[in-house]
Amino acid sequence: MRPSLAIFATVGLLLAGPGIDYARANRFWSFRPIEARAVPAVRDTVWGKSTIDRFILRKLEDKGLKPAPPAGRATLLRRVTFDVTGLPPTVAELDAFLADRSPQAYERVVDRLLASPHYGERWARHWLDLVRFAETDGHEFDNDKPDMWRYRDYVVRAFNADVAYPQFVREHIAGDLLGAPRRSADGNFVESPMATAYYWLGENKNSPVDSVESIAERVDSQIDVFGKAFLGLTIACARCHDHKFDPIATADYYSLAGFFHSVRRGQLAVDGAVPRNEAGLPTAGFTWSVAGPAFALFNGRLTSGSISPVRQGVAYSNIFTLQKRYVHVRTAGTAGVKLMVDEYPLTTYNGTDREFKWYSYDVLMYAQHPAYVALIDQDPAGHVTLGEVVFSDDAKPPVREIEIDLAAGNLVETCPEPMLTLAPVDDAVADTRIHVRGSHKTLGAPAPRRFLPVIAGLEQASVTRGSGRLDLADRVTDEANPLLARVMVNRFWQHHFGRGIVSTPDNFGATGEPPTHPELLDWLATEYRSSGWSAKHMHRLMLLTKAYQMSSGGEAQDTDPANKYLYRFPVQRLEAEAIRDHLLAVSGSLDLTMAGPSVPVYVSAFMDGDARGKPKSGPVDGRNRRSLYINVRRNYLPDSLTIFDYPQPISTLGKRNVSVVPTQALYLMNSEFVQQQAARWAERVRHEPDPVRTMYREAFSRPPSAAEVTVAREFLKTQPLESYAHALMQTAEFLFIR
Amino acid sequence: MTIPARTWGRRELLARTAAGFGGMAMAAMAANVRQPHFAPKAKSVIFLYMDGGPSQIDTFDPKPRLHAEHGKPLPFAVPKTQFNNNFNILGSPWEFKQHGQSGTWVSDLFPHVATCVDDLAIVRSMVSDHSEHTAANYMLHTGFGMQGRPSMGSWITYGLGAESENLPSFVVMEGGIIPAGGMDNFGSGFLPAAYQATMLRRGETPVANVRPRETLTGAQEAKLALSKRLNQGVVARLGSNSEIDALVSSYEMAYRMQSAVPELADLSGESAATRALYGVDDPLTAEYGRQCLLARRLVERGVRFVQCINPRVKGHDRWDQHGRIVAGHTDNSRAVDLPIAGLLKDLKARGLLDQTLVLWGGEFGRTPMSQGSMDLKFAGRDHNPFGYTMWLAGGGVRGGTVYGATDDYGYFVAENKVHVHDLHATMLHLLGLNHKQLTFRYGGREMRLTDVHGEIVHGILA
Repeated sequence: MRPSLAIFATVGLLLAGPGIDYARANRFWSFRPIEARAVPAVRDTVWGKSTIDRFILRKLEDKGLKPAPPAGRATLLRRVTFDVTGLPPTVAELDAFLADRSPQAYERVVDRLLASPHYGERWARHWLDLVRFAETDGHEFDNDKPDMWRYRDYVVRAFNADVAYPQFVREHIAGDLLGAPRRSADGNFVESPMATAYYWLGENKNSPVDSVESIAERVDSQIDVFGKAFLGLTIACARCHDHKFDPIATADYYSLAGFFHSVRRGQLAVDGAVPRNEAGLPTAGFTWSVAGPAFALFNGRLTSGSISPVRQGVAYSNIFTLQKRYVHVRTAGTAGVKLMVDEYPLTTYNGTDREFKWYSYDVLMYAQHPAYVALIDQDPAGHVTLGEVVFSDDAKPPVREIEIDLAAGNLVETCPEPMLTLAPVDDAVADTRIHVRGSHKTLGAPAPRRFLPVIAGLEQASVTRGSGRLDLADRVTDEANPLLARVMVNRFWQHHFGRGIVSTPDNFGATGEPPTHPELLDWLATEYRSSGWSAKHMHRLMLLTKAYQMSSGGEAQDTDPANKYLYRFPVQRLEAEAIRDHLLAVSGSLDLTMAGPSVPVYVSAFMDGDARGKPKSGPVDGRNRRSLYINVRRNYLPDSLTIFDYPQPISTLGKRNVSVVPTQALYLMNSEFVQQQAARWAERVRHEPDPVRTMYREAFSRPPSAAEVTVAREFLKTQPLESYAHALMQTAEFLFIR
Repeated sequence: MTIPARTWGRRELLARTAAGFGGMAMAAMAANVRQPHFAPKAKSVIFLYMDGGPSQIDTFDPKPRLHAEHGKPLPFAVPKTQFNNNFNILGSPWEFKQHGQSGTWVSDLFPHVATCVDDLAIVRSMVSDHSEHTAANYMLHTGFGMQGRPSMGSWITYGLGAESENLPSFVVMEGGIIPAGGMDNFGSGFLPAAYQATMLRRGETPVANVRPRETLTGAQEAKLALSKRLNQGVVARLGSNSEIDALVSSYEMAYRMQSAVPELADLSGESAATRALYGVDDPLTAEYGRQCLLARRLVERGVRFVQCINPRVKGHDRWDQHGRIVAGHTDNSRAVDLPIAGLLKDLKARGLLDQTLVLWGGEFGRTPMSQGSMDLKFAGRDHNPFGYTMWLAGGGVRGGTVYGATDDYGYFVAENKVHVHDLHATMLHLLGLNHKQLTFRYGGREMRLTDVHGEIVHGILA
C-alpha cells in the first residue's frame, strides 16, 4: 500500500460526516506548527559535524547505510557552479580553486557563487516554473502579454537581493497596495508592484463565447498556482466539491476566489519619475484610473496629449453594468479606444484624425455583464481625447455638436516610454458566490473572502481594505502559517540534492509523499525564519554540508535503491536551459548580458505551418543569450528545449520530468545549433598548445586521463578537431552533473 | 553500417530501464510493448483531423427540413455563437444520396468516401463543450478545453508502449496547417517528454534533425564511437548507472532512425495503382494523399497513433467557413475525399483495417442558419458544438452504422448523445485500454484522458 493511501485513510476518517473538522485536520503533519527539533546524536561525530549532516547521518546510521566518501574537488566545483548559477565553472575559476589549498577554499567558492548575479538567473528560472511563466496568452492568437519580461527580471533581482521570502510573497499578492513599497537598488522605480504581474501569467482566451465561464477558469488557474506555489496545497481540487483528501471545503475555495474576482487586469506605471496608478480622475460620468505619464484632465477633459503627443499611457473607466443595447464612445486623436466586457476586449478602434468621432458597440449579448472603457495611447506621435460615453437603445449615436478644442499640447519633449507592468486593479469588489458543482450557472451562497481556515482559523476578521488582498497577504505570511517556510526550504533542498525531503514539492497534502526527514525539514524551516528568511543563508548551510560534498560514485544500495536517505550524491541530468547554456559557454559564444526584452524564439521548420499567432522567427542561436531570455510563447515553446523537458506553462511545476529519448540524441548529433557550437569551440581552441586538455577542462572541469589522451590522439589522426568537440558534447559527462 | 555498440534486446532494455529514471522515458520509442488491460481490437489509430469544423448538415447528416424552411428563422432560441451575426435557415447546397448495402446517406461533397460507407460507423450525435476553435481543439485532442493536458496520442503511447524499434510512436503530419492552440494539441502535458508527438513533414529532413550533416563517410560513426567509449569510461568510474545506460541506448535508436525515417518517407516503391488510389500525383489531392499513404506505411511499421491534418486550400481558412461555404467546403472536400477513400480501401486490401482504427472529424460542426448573408455565394455557417458528426472505421467498429441523431434542424443532439469524452473512452476500449484505469498521477490526482467522464459507445462496436 502506498504510504499516501495510509494517510488518506486517517484523514478520510477525520473528514467523515458533514463539513470539515479543521481542528482535528490540523494534526496532519504539514499543518502542525513548525517545531524546533533537537539535533540527533550520531556515532560518527567527525562526519556529523554540521547540524544538517547530523540529521542525515542519523537516518543513514539507523538504516545501516554509510555516507559516500567526499567528491573530488574539481567534481565538486562543477557541481556547485551549475547548481548555483546554471553555468559551468571557467578554467580560471577551476585553477584558482585547485590552487587554493586553504580549508576555506570551498567556502569561498560558495560565497563567490551566491554573490554572482547569475545566481539570480538560475533560481529565478526555478521560480518561473512555479508560476507557469509565459509571455503570451495562448489560445487562438497567442497574444503578447505586455512587457511580461519585466516580471522575469523582477524575480532575478529579488533572488540576487535576497529579498525576505514573506516580502516576496506579499509583493506577489498585493505589491501594488503596500504602504511602503520596495524601491529598486538605483531608486529609479518601484519593485513591489512588478510582482503582481504574476496574476496574469496564465492562459487567456480571446473572444470566449461564454466569458463568465472563461473568467472562472482564469480564477481557477490563479487559485491552483497560488495554492501549489506558496502553500504546497492542491486547493483547486475543491472547485466542484470539498477536497477529497485535504481539509479544504468548496466554500474555502470560493472564499479565495473572491480575492481574484475582485480585480481586473490593468497596468501600472512603476517608474519613479511619474505617478503611480492614480485611481480617481472623475470625468464623463466615470472615475478613471490612469497608468503612465500621458493621461490627465485638461480643461475637464481626459486626454493623453495635454503635454505632448510623445507621452504614452492607458486610462480605464470604473466598471459598470451593461443595461442598454449600445455603448457609444466618442473620442478624438489617433490612439485607441476599446470596450472591455467581462475583461475581454470587443473591437479596438484606432482614430485617424483630430476630429471627434463616435465608435459604437452592440452589446446585446452581454446585457447585465460588467464592462469598462479603456483608452490606450501607445502611439509616440499621437494622443487620444475622450469626448463622451453614451448608453442607449438606439444603434445610432446622438447627433450633437462637440467643440473641437483638442487639448493636444505641442510641447517638444523627449519622454521615455513609461515603465508599465501588468497588475491587478481592484474593481467590482465582492464576495464570490459558491459555484455549485463548479458551475458558474448554478450559484449558491456568497463565500466571505478569507484565507484557508485550516491555516488561519475559522475566526478570521473580515477583510477591510478593497479587494482584501492586503489582508490575504498578511494571513499567508503570518507566523501561524507553517507551510510557507516548509514548502520553500524543501524547494531549496530539492534543487541542491536532486530530491526533496518531501518528494512532491507542490503537494504537502494527504496525497503527497510524507517527508523522509521530518525533523530536518522543521529544523530548516525554523532556521529559515530565524535568519530573516534569507535564501542565501539556507543555500550556504546546505552547500557547506558533508552531505552535499559526497561523491556520486559507488554501487547502489539495495536497502535504498532510490537514494531517499542520501548515502551518496545523485547523478543528475542538466535541465534544458543549462544544457543549451553549457553548449554556448564552451563554444565561447555565450553572451552573459542580463535582463531586458526577450529574444524571439526560433521557429523551426517543424513548427512552421500556417497558424494564427505564429511569431516571426528569431535566430537559431538565440543571439547567444542565456536560455532564460528566450521569449516564452505559450503556443511556440522552443522545441530544442522542450525535448529536454522544458515545462509547458500550465500549472506549478516544482519538479520537472527527466526523459531520455532519441529526439534528444538526434538534436545533439544533427542539429544546426549544436554543430555550429562545436565548430566555434574547435576554432577557438585550435591554436592552444594542448587543445584536448583545454576542452576537457572547459567541458568537464578536469584534465583528461592518460587513456583519454590516447583515445583523443587516435581519433584526431583521422578526424578533425571540430568532430572531436562535437563528440564531447554528446557525452554523458557533458550533459550530467555528478 | 552499425556503430560499434552492443545493441540490447528488448527484454534486456526493459529490465535495464524499467527500474527508475529511464523506465518511462524510454518506453515511447524503445520497442517496449506494454500489456493492454484486455484483448484489443485495434493496435493503431489514424486520426483524419478536419481542422476548422466541417458542417455536419452538408456532409453526413441530411436535414430535408432545412430545405423546406430555407430562409425562415429558426423556431427556437439560438444560443450565443462565436460571431453572433446569424441569419435565417440555410438549406444544404449539396444533394444527399444513399450509398452501399447499408443505404447510408452522404452528400455530394464526399463521393469517394461514399463508396466506403459499409465500413463506417457514422456518429451523428457528437457534442463538445466549447464553441471556440482553440478550446474545442484542446477538448478533442486532450479531453480538456484548456492548454496543457496530454494529447490522446500521448496517452495511447503511454498506455501501450511502442512496437516499432526505430520510429516514434506518435506521429503528426505537418502538412502546412497547425490547428488553433498550436503544438499543445500534440503535447505530452504532464506526461514525460517522451510521449510528445513527432512532427513528420515533407522534404529531405522528414523528422527534426534526422539527417546527418556530416559529409564524409564514417565521420558521424566515428563521433558516436568516441562518445560511447568516453561514456564507458564514466561508467567505469561511477559504477553502473541507469541514467547513462539510457542515454547510450538513445543514441543507438537515434542512429537507426536516421535510416528508418527516410525509408519510411520514400514513396518511390509504391505501385502506380497505389499512388493513383491515394491521388498522390494529382495536385488537387497530392498533399493529403501523401499524408494518408504515409499513415498506412506508419501503421504497417507498428506506429501507434498517426494524425493527418487537412491541407491548406488556397483561398480558404481550413474548414472554418463563416462565409463562402459553398466554395470552401467544395474545395476542402476535394482535397481529402479521394485520399481518405484510398486509405480505407488500401488498409482493407492489405488486411490492416481490422487492426487500425480510423477516426474522421473536426473540433465541432456548424450552425443550420447562415452567418453573415443569405446570398449563397457569401453565406457561411458559425460554430456548433451542440450536435455534429464524426465517423469511425476499422478495428472493432461495426461498419454500415449510423448512430445517434440531431434534431430536425441539425442543431442539437436529439438521441444518443456522444460527448468527446465518450469518443475517447470508446477509442481506448478498442485499443484494449480501460479509460478509467489509464491514469497518471499529477497535482495530487490520478489524471485520465476522460477526466471523470466517458461512456463506451457500445452501439458502434462490432
